[in-house]
Amino acid sequence: MEAETLRKKLAELLSWERRKRREQILTTVFCYALLAALLVLPFHGLLDTVISRWFIPILFFGVMAPFFFARGHWRLADSARALARVDKTLELDERTLTAWELLERNESRAAALMVLKQAGEKLANLDPKALFRRNWSWQAYCALSLLLLWLGLLWFDVGLRFDGGVQFSPPQTVAQRLREFSRALQDKAKNEGLDESLRVGRELEQVAQKSIDDKTGDEKFKADLAGMQNKIATMGKSAAEQQPLSASESQQDLWDLKAELEAARDLFNNGDATKGAQELGRQWLDQLATLPQIKKQFEREGQSGQSLSQSDLKSFLDKLDKQATRELDRRTLLDAQQFLEQLMKQGQGEKGESDVKVAGQGERDSPDDGERTNNRSNLPGKEPGKREAESASLPEFQAGATAHVKGLLGEGNSSGVVLKAKPSAGKSEVSQDDVIASYRRQAEAELNTERVPEALKETIKNYFLSLGIGKEQN
Amino acid sequence: METVAEIETRMQHARHSFDDLKAEMARIIVGHEALIEQVFIALVCGGHCLLEGVPGLGKTLMVRSLGEILNLSFSRIQFTPDLMPADITGTNVLTDDPSGRKIFEFQRGPVFAHIVLADEINRATPKTQSALLEAMQEQSVTVGGKMHRLENPFMVLATQNPIEMEGTYPLPEAQVDRFFFKLLLQYPTRDELARIADFTTAGAPVALHEVLDATDILQMRQWVRDVPLADIVKDYAVRLVLSTHPQREPGREAAPLAQKFVLYGSSPRGLQSVILAAKARALLAGRPNVSFEDIRQMLLPSLRHRLILNLEADAEGIGAEKILSEVVERVPEVP
Repeated sequence: MEAETLRKKLAELLSWERRKRREQILTTVFCYALLAALLVLPFHGLLDTVISRWFIPILFFGVMAPFFFARGHWRLADSARALARVDKTLELDERTLTAWELLERNESRAAALMVLKQAGEKLANLDPKALFRRNWSWQAYCALSLLLLWLGLLWFDVGLRFDGGVQFSPPQTVAQRLREFSRALQDKAKNEGLDESLRVGRELEQVAQKSIDDKTGDEKFKADLAGMQNKIATMGKSAAEQQPLSASESQQDLWDLKAELEAARDLFNNGDATKGAQELGRQWLDQLATLPQIKKQFEREGQSGQSLSQSDLKSFLDKLDKQATRELDRRTLLDAQQFLEQLMKQGQGEKGESDVKVAGQGERDSPDDGERTNNRSNLPGKEPGKREAESASLPEFQAGATAHVKGLLGEGNSSGVVLKAKPSAGKSEVSQDDVIASYRRQAEAELNTERVPEALKETIKNYFLSLGIGKEQN
Repeated sequence: METVAEIETRMQHARHSFDDLKAEMARIIVGHEALIEQVFIALVCGGHCLLEGVPGLGKTLMVRSLGEILNLSFSRIQFTPDLMPADITGTNVLTDDPSGRKIFEFQRGPVFAHIVLADEINRATPKTQSALLEAMQEQSVTVGGKMHRLENPFMVLATQNPIEMEGTYPLPEAQVDRFFFKLLLQYPTRDELARIADFTTAGAPVALHEVLDATDILQMRQWVRDVPLADIVKDYAVRLVLSTHPQREPGREAAPLAQKFVLYGSSPRGLQSVILAAKARALLAGRPNVSFEDIRQMLLPSLRHRLILNLEADAEGIGAEKILSEVVERVPEVP
């Protein structure tokens, strides 16, 4: 084999080795880039748009690749190592290595040519790709797993977020928040069968999406929001007027009522056909009496103790179901209305972003949630929906002196707060029904926490119930 | 200008000659194949060997046989404390010339032979030792202000008895460094011992045949230097030699044992010896180039006498062999 042929053969061999090195570096960088992308997954919220999250590994790849390529660039020693490996594998006693050096030096001595001749003969049938196959490193296998994991996490939108005391997430645009809220509202409406809320949710999403897609101006979007707000308010009022169910019913009561109605329906469907209609009706009444919410509604309607026919009973329960659904629908619309109010205020540059509750989260936010602690609109004595502007003018609370008091539940130390402010008369824009309902919901949420002593829970519940009853009596 | 075909021919010639030499030596020497190879390598490299072994292992027989097979003159000098330099180099003696006048005539000493066996070199005084060592280095002796060239090729094989050190004059380090190889004669194995008994106590003495002559040896010396050596392989030898140095310098990382037990590492002459011997080994194997294995194989005989160990090594029984083995293990072929 001539020197040139040998040179080509060696170049082919080294080229293959270089290619393997490049592939190795690429897989390594890819693996580390994916790893880094996974590590920064909790910080994805810092990005402006959702789609940009897909570019994070590419970004890391771009940053890491130059470093890895610089560190692992092909050196002379790498060539020597590769050729020494050929010699070892083919037992050539460093003929390849020596031939390569002699070629580099353009040696023409007969002794050098002898080396080239022998190396050429030995390497004539060498196929580098067959002899030195690719060996995938652990990074390659790891990269594949990490890629699947990362894609999975992004696809299912799984991400850890820092929502605690420190808010790492940048504020979303108003339209994005509205879209998020509307989707949550639709989910909730679908789950609970709230038609009006579902319709409103869809319309809100359309408004939000339109604003995001068209990048419409602030004023146009606000106008749309105001329109939606008015529409929801109108719907809420009309629903309240048609609503025979007491607004004092807690959310939990309504959900319980719905669950009991469901159970009652099962009862009807599985009834014993062999019994007479009269007897069956009595049996159903007895069983329905064990369901507290239905029983309460019976009593409220003054039908307790009366014997009802099967059809009457069914129509009564259907009516109750519709009323409960309507009431839930109304309350959800009320929540949506409050949310829009908040959104409008934020749009005007007011603070209080964190006070907004997403409908999907409902009122069951954890009591230690950072948002909740800052949310003064949730505190009694404050009009729901009105927040920072008013709360900024509130006088500061001051802890009062501890006093030993004797009460119905026993004796103990009592601490109080002192409000140093003059009461001033004002015109409320929110109906009493809404205020009481809102307070009740907050009270119920608090009652579900451990912060309220067990012994006082019933007392507090009765108090809020009595507010509703008082209003009805008035 | 030589051609590739000529190179191929000479490589084959060198290999066949060496194979013949081994075969001929095997007729009279049992075992010691590696030793014979190393002695021959030293001969074709123009070096001298220091043989260390207990008496009766066949050192003299081996050297004498080598001389016979190579058709080279052989002389033996038994070193004793009363041996004088002139007993080695020769001296001017007063004689009558044909006209009857008294003249000084140079009487050549036993050093004037192709192969000189300096038996128990450490028993002579340093003065006598240095006379021989000077001859080894210069390949000439100067007597009465006149220089006399020694034979070419010229090789000294000096022997030492490692167990009987009383009344000896150990060779100074500088003198030891002039030996190309230090070779150790191992005691024969059971089979070899049985064959030695057969060889020496039965049958007629073996008549050896000449395989090579002085011209062949001198020619081979030229060929050895022509063997190509890759820079990477040379660098490997350099790194091996550097690793025997305990000094800590950037880029010079000594092996831990060398760090602990070596006082002075190998001299540059050690590196020359390793590389030249590796080239000779490649040539005698019929290979056109030097391999890493050649370097490794020639490291021990070339460097074992060039490491100056400290007292701690003596106390712990650490020899140069162990240190060099570790050096070989630690130094990668390609960095």
